Amino acid sequence: MLNDSPLDRTFQALADPVRRGMLSRLGRGPASVSELAKPFSISLPAVLQHLQALESSGLVRSEKKGRVRTVRLEPSALGAAESWIAERRAEWEAQLDRFEDYLSKLKNGENEWPRL
Amino acid sequence: MAETLDLILERTLDAPVDLVWKAYTDPQHLKQWFAPKPYEVSECELDLKPGGIFRIRMVGPDGFDTGHGNAGCVLEVVEGKKLAWTSALGPSYRPAEMGEGCESFPMTAIVTFEDAGNGKTAYKAVALHKDARDRATHEQMGFQDGWGTTANQLEELAKALSVNA
Repeated sequence: MLNDSPLDRTFQALADPVRRGMLSRLGRGPASVSELAKPFSISLPAVLQHLQALESSGLVRSEKKGRVRTVRLEPSALGAAESWIAERRAEWEAQLDRFEDYLSKLKNGENEWPRL
Repeated sequence: MAETLDLILERTLDAPVDLVWKAYTDPQHLKQWFAPKPYEVSECELDLKPGGIFRIRMVGPDGFDTGHGNAGCVLEVVEGKKLAWTSALGPSYRPAEMGEGCESFPMTAIVTFEDAGNGKTAYKAVALHKDARDRATHEQMGFQDGWGTTANQLEELAKALSVNA
């Protein structure tokens, strides 16, 4: 598990029903802050806090035009295919390392063949 | 798209192919190296025939336990040369229930061994994954155990997100 990596922040941001609701809404297209807040019975400061969590995770970005802040999804945060596949590769490589170690123990007679 | 989610690993192992095959495919041996420390494989079933079971139970000192573990399916066995299996199917090719966390996305692995001379073995593994949506589901499940949300919710979310990708 990575510590405080961008991916970590992404998943922390996802670990909240309000924020997931906001993301679902944004999946249908950009929205203003008040549109996003509508389905939730929470205060504006709370809404802004959730948005901040989403923005710092890179899942969304927002821009203010006049008095309206428009929020949109930033799909690249979840498009981290490379990092995911890199983790799978690291797992396979590490497992293969263990397999090699085990083979050399078997060859050198350090490990008895387990009784079968 | 799919091919970017596939993995190919190649390595020359310093052991003869018959030893490699045995150590790789015999559950008693597999238990010794399969799990990353401090985790260990407490149970392993690997039935070396097409449709045979491949099941691993992993436990850790911190109380981690995969439980019985979802059983995968052996697809192809060429003694001493090739082993292919998948987690998308259970034993006897029955479509598998997808579990949680690491088991919530299907994978197919094709591992081949070849005599490389001088008592060495050429190892090649290809791991096939399904698609980006599975990947996203996997990430979310894997990183946020104990959310109390269902995989369906997450999948919906991932779908919504990938539409915009």
